[in-house]
Amino acid sequence: MTKQLQIVAVFIIVSLSYGYLLYPSIIYSLTDTTHWLVVLSQGFIQLILVWLYIKGLKRFPQHTLLDIYSKMGKWMTLLFLFPFALNLIALITFSVRMHTETILSIFLPRTPYWSILLLLLFISAYTAIKGFDTILRSAIFIVLLILFIILLNTFSSFVNYDVYNIASDKHVSIAFLLNPKFLTLIGFSSFLFLGFITNDKPLTFPPFMIASIGVIVILLSFIYIPLLIFGHETVVTMPHPLLEATDSINIGWFVFNRQTMFLGITLIGFVILASAVMLWMIGQIMQSLLPKSKRKNSFWIIIFTTFSLIAALLLPNQAVAEKYFLWGVGIQAFFMAIIPLTIFIYGFASKRGGVKHEN
Amino acid sequence: MTNIVNELTNKFSNHHDFFIEEELIDNTIVYVIGFTTLVDVTKSKLYIQQIAASSISIKAFFTNISNELNVPDEQLIKAILTGSIIILSKDATRNAVVEAFPQKLGSDISESKNESPVQASIDAFGNHLDINVGMIRKRLNTERLCLDSYEVGQLNKRKIYMLYVKGRASPELINKVEQQLTTVQRDIETLDDLNNQFGHRRWSPVSHFSATELPIQAVDALKNNRIVFFLDQFPFALIYPNLVGDMVSSANDRNLTFALTVMLRALRIIGILATLLLPALYVALVSVNPELFKTDLALFVIQSREGVPLSAFLETIVMVILVDLILEGVVRLPKSVGPAVTMVGGIILGQSMVEAELVSNLLIITITAVVIASSAVVGMQNSLYLRLLKYPILLLASVFGILGICTGFVLTIIYLASLTSNEIPYLTFRLGQKGDET
Repeated sequence: MTKQLQIVAVFIIVSLSYGYLLYPSIIYSLTDTTHWLVVLSQGFIQLILVWLYIKGLKRFPQHTLLDIYSKMGKWMTLLFLFPFALNLIALITFSVRMHTETILSIFLPRTPYWSILLLLLFISAYTAIKGFDTILRSAIFIVLLILFIILLNTFSSFVNYDVYNIASDKHVSIAFLLNPKFLTLIGFSSFLFLGFITNDKPLTFPPFMIASIGVIVILLSFIYIPLLIFGHETVVTMPHPLLEATDSINIGWFVFNRQTMFLGITLIGFVILASAVMLWMIGQIMQSLLPKSKRKNSFWIIIFTTFSLIAALLLPNQAVAEKYFLWGVGIQAFFMAIIPLTIFIYGFASKRGGVKHEN
Repeated sequence: MTNIVNELTNKFSNHHDFFIEEELIDNTIVYVIGFTTLVDVTKSKLYIQQIAASSISIKAFFTNISNELNVPDEQLIKAILTGSIIILSKDATRNAVVEAFPQKLGSDISESKNESPVQASIDAFGNHLDINVGMIRKRLNTERLCLDSYEVGQLNKRKIYMLYVKGRASPELINKVEQQLTTVQRDIETLDDLNNQFGHRRWSPVSHFSATELPIQAVDALKNNRIVFFLDQFPFALIYPNLVGDMVSSANDRNLTFALTVMLRALRIIGILATLLLPALYVALVSVNPELFKTDLALFVIQSREGVPLSAFLETIVMVILVDLILEGVVRLPKSVGPAVTMVGGIILGQSMVEAELVSNLLIITITAVVIASSAVVGMQNSLYLRLLKYPILLLASVFGILGICTGFVLTIIYLASLTSNEIPYLTFRLGQKGDET
């Protein structure tokens, strides 16, 4: 019953899930001008990787990433996927903690952070245990809700725009390509879950291209809303430019005082579903690593959620969480390059007859 | 007396409505056996005598009176229990099961009680299975409409009819349902028993079936690739699987113009959202996140709560439960007392609560809106389950404010997304045509 539209919806959610908080700051630190070029280059690299990945997966119809790796050999799974699972749990931990702090600063300054952590992780784990089909079906509704709010946010920010803030955007520089931080950006898009889905029909590339273009447009709006409101010099000094930009908006006729509230709502939708996807992936990886143990997927999800909760509680503050999160994203970027490549090369090799199928 | 008659007399010795009467036909004594509560004895005997008069021999009599001749003993007992009469010759060489004149136990086709269709036929399903199926056949006269019948249960064999349109409903689904119905181990007394038979939904407020009284609704479901069940002595068609769209659309809507249909459905969606979110929004904005409002609006809200001693959450939960109690009370009470409760609940209680400053005016408005909104959806059970789902969101909102509303809403979506009936997700909007057209 899996439909490609639902998969695309999850793809959009996961790709946007971290964009809100740290993505703009990284872009601003990479370049002074032509921010759009950075986003476009990152989007282009991501598109190539998605294409490679889908192309590679197509060579193994009805197989998931896990089946393919176990075909390559047990040690390959251990070598690539176990560290990947560990990295995912680290990402969940840091991102949930980071988002919790942000949500606290928007809505609930007096509430203890552990209660929010518990709430978010509980819902994510519940969703992950319910299975990927549930994630897919709810994704459509959540994407519609969130896209509506993003549009509302973008359009309401028009009132504060000053076009002169980006008047210097003429000088084209590609120095950012050599900055290692640029490669970290790849880690912000998460498409690796595509390999974990079994589908009757193989995935096709065009819908993901359209979705990617949509994601890039939204990411551009995340970059340019603060830029248009504050200008580059001000924006680089801010920890969370997008939050501050939306906080500055005040529309006279609107009943709500703070537009940031809507931003907070989108954050919640994103973080819950993205964490659920990752928890589910961890469950799948653990099950394929230990096929003989009779533990169910849900067992591993609960174990890793508990682990993540404890780790998130132990993090001293948001700055540390952000620092580690960026490391995690860097490592994620490595997996994003290496996993599609191995699948693609292995698929290519097995087609040539270089590798024997174990059917 | 013969063996079988003895056996029957012993078996039914505790049944005072059991009768054995002797008739003389062609100089042979035959026994007429049945239940007086199920069979109209006078009419049936008259019928037997008429057949006897027109038959030249006892053999001819038996051939004329029934097609079911010389059946095994167990089937005779079953026939008696299901409201037929049996005729036995004294030497026990012949027997016949006769579809006698039944006692009139069902009601005629009546108007629908739970649904009130606008601009449509008001016929409603009744208790009798065959009449219900007849009502469907009259509206959907195609040879592709198939009917499977099952008898399930241990103590009480309950008849279940399954209707589907061949070529529309997926054969895979029909097979699965067939399997589930043939493996029933317990008595199917209520809808809940049947629900559990179709997959574990003991604690879920969402049923596998949507029940309807209106033939037009059932026919529409059949045309849209779904299955319809009828239980005997249950005056509803059970549409399987129940989908989320059933809450906002009824077949009857389409008797209006397209624009009006769209408007009605949009209103129902607003109703769903309002039922789930409004009470929670009140609590969140009054007690946890008042700073989100514009200053003048926030001041207005605070003013309306001036002097109210209860906390916003307590105030809301008391009112919500009270209103749900009133609704339940009005439903259960006889029609003559219901309006009195409505008046006492609505006017006296509501008015005095505001005057005593126990709850704020704003809350009264909110609650009223919620009650009206929850009734806008199609189907009584849908309205009930929405009313239940608003409580978790309310609870989360009282702790986490706006954040609680969002997480509660997302959790509700995820919960509904996790529901499936035989692998058909509840959040499907339309079932595809799976079967072969031919």
